[in-house]
Amino acid sequence: MATSQEILEALADYQVQCNENKRLRKMQRDWSKLLHFVAEDTKDTFTMNVVNGEIVSFEAGLNGTPDIIVTSTSENFCDMFWGDLNPSQKYLAGEIRVKASQEDVVRLDAITMIIWPDV
Amino acid sequence: MTELKKVIKLRTVISTSAGMAIATSCYLAGIQLATILVGELAWISILLAGFLCLLSSMCFSELTSLYPTAAGIKLYIQNAFNEKVSIIIGMFYVILGISMVGAESYLLASVLSGTFQIFTPLYDKLLWMLFFIVFVVLINIRGVYITGLVQDIMTYSMIAFMIGVSIYTFATHDINFSLAAQSAKFTLGNIIQAAGVGVFLFVGYEWVTPLAEETTDYRLIGKGMIWAIGILTVTYSLFIVAMYTGLTPAQLASGTPIPHIVFGTNLFGVAGTITFICMSILASVTSFNSGLLNTSRFSYAMGRDNVLPRFFSKLHPSYATPWVSILFLGGLAIVISLTTLFTGKYLFIILMAAALECFIYVVAAVCVIKLRKKYPQKERAFKIPGGYTVPIIVIVVFTGLMIGIFTDVSRDYLGRELFKNYWVAVVMAGFFLCMVLYTLMVVPIFKKKAQEKEKTRVKRRPGKS
Repeated sequence: MATSQEILEALADYQVQCNENKRLRKMQRDWSKLLHFVAEDTKDTFTMNVVNGEIVSFEAGLNGTPDIIVTSTSENFCDMFWGDLNPSQKYLAGEIRVKASQEDVVRLDAITMIIWPDV
Repeated sequence: MTELKKVIKLRTVISTSAGMAIATSCYLAGIQLATILVGELAWISILLAGFLCLLSSMCFSELTSLYPTAAGIKLYIQNAFNEKVSIIIGMFYVILGISMVGAESYLLASVLSGTFQIFTPLYDKLLWMLFFIVFVVLINIRGVYITGLVQDIMTYSMIAFMIGVSIYTFATHDINFSLAAQSAKFTLGNIIQAAGVGVFLFVGYEWVTPLAEETTDYRLIGKGMIWAIGILTVTYSLFIVAMYTGLTPAQLASGTPIPHIVFGTNLFGVAGTITFICMSILASVTSFNSGLLNTSRFSYAMGRDNVLPRFFSKLHPSYATPWVSILFLGGLAIVISLTTLFTGKYLFIILMAAALECFIYVVAAVCVIKLRKKYPQKERAFKIPGGYTVPIIVIVVFTGLMIGIFTDVSRDYLGRELFKNYWVAVVMAGFFLCMVLYTLMVVPIFKKKAQEKEKTRVKRRPGKS
């Protein structure tokens, strides 16, 4: 199990990787969403705010009404934010569950795919 | 747990499910169904087909409540059987499903070329077919999505229009049910056989299940499918009988691929032709667009999962759409459309789609039984009442209908043989075998390659390298 602090550290790295990737920023330029992440095993929750493809903030806890809700284990979240996990594979295996439109599911996966194409 | 900002309501679940099923090819399938039985009594087979689809929808409802995700079909087959079976069936379903575009684009091209002549009929059909497919491919790559409200307006308008036209036809034409009931064609065997073709009228209703991720309550998907099938059953029952009544025996005998346009012209002249053409375009474009949207996302996911070559997961740099998957499936649709154009065997594809649906319904019912045995305690927002009764009925009936389709002979209105339907089974078996060989021989290569790459990759997470 990953702690809340570990996930926040992973999120900090994820934010930098996302925001510095020009290709990703171009692709997601119209994508503004509020995301909620729920770690089922630890009950930890996180909120991430994406404005025009830029991750402007993230924090522990659930704030606002989300456009996307992602539910999984704390370990999966930690690995995903560090770029060590293929979210699509976990999604297809039912280990990551997403409440969102199909377009948003692809866009969420696109982040990992663009930043870490080998994953 | 907080809820999403934007959620899909029951009204949109119904319109999406019904909208996927309504297509130009449904009118032709309806006339084919009416030809097998007696036109005036076609509604009996439609009611039967609708009822059977209703039972199958209960299986999808239970599976969706168990796996409320867009990856549902792969997930529940994988959990009921194993990953290989899920890949084989999933890809078989998707690739053969896209082949319906062949019949759909051919029929739409027939509708347009019959009205607006530019070159010769053949070139006109070719032109319209390519235009139609390329248009849908482009809007998919551009990432144009039909919103729930637009879907609602389009589907409910089409349904209201079909019901309105039917009522008008019944008010202006004589229908003699008792005379029709005395026909030698009105037999139990023909009712069941026609119901087998009638399944085609509902093809695609289950493609609404990926919307589970956008609803507040997963049970809405099940409710929506049931409502959609009910509405479609009533609408088709009325419209097919009305269309049959509104066509002259000579028009029926001509074997026209565009009976609804001829029917519209008979009723309202040029205004009827134009209105029915518009309805046809709307029905075809929406169902093909949704079909391509779903299947391309499936191919994208398969690419990401190392089941298909990695390039299937390439995303468009500006629109974030899986453009390689869309182009591949669009190309496949063009190949099938051209084959349909040059062979003229659009009925073949309609029967193939009906048989494919029967097959998928059987798979879904088997999954329900296997998953109940495997995970009896797993939470289900919806569980089919009556134990295994409904899934077993679905398995028996749809296997029977599928065999019925394969063992029959396709004939036109005058009873002339078009082709023997076992060829449909041969083509489907060929496709299935290709999927089996691909899964057993090619997929392991991609998986192994991905595993080797994974081993050499340095983990970024601190303490995990």
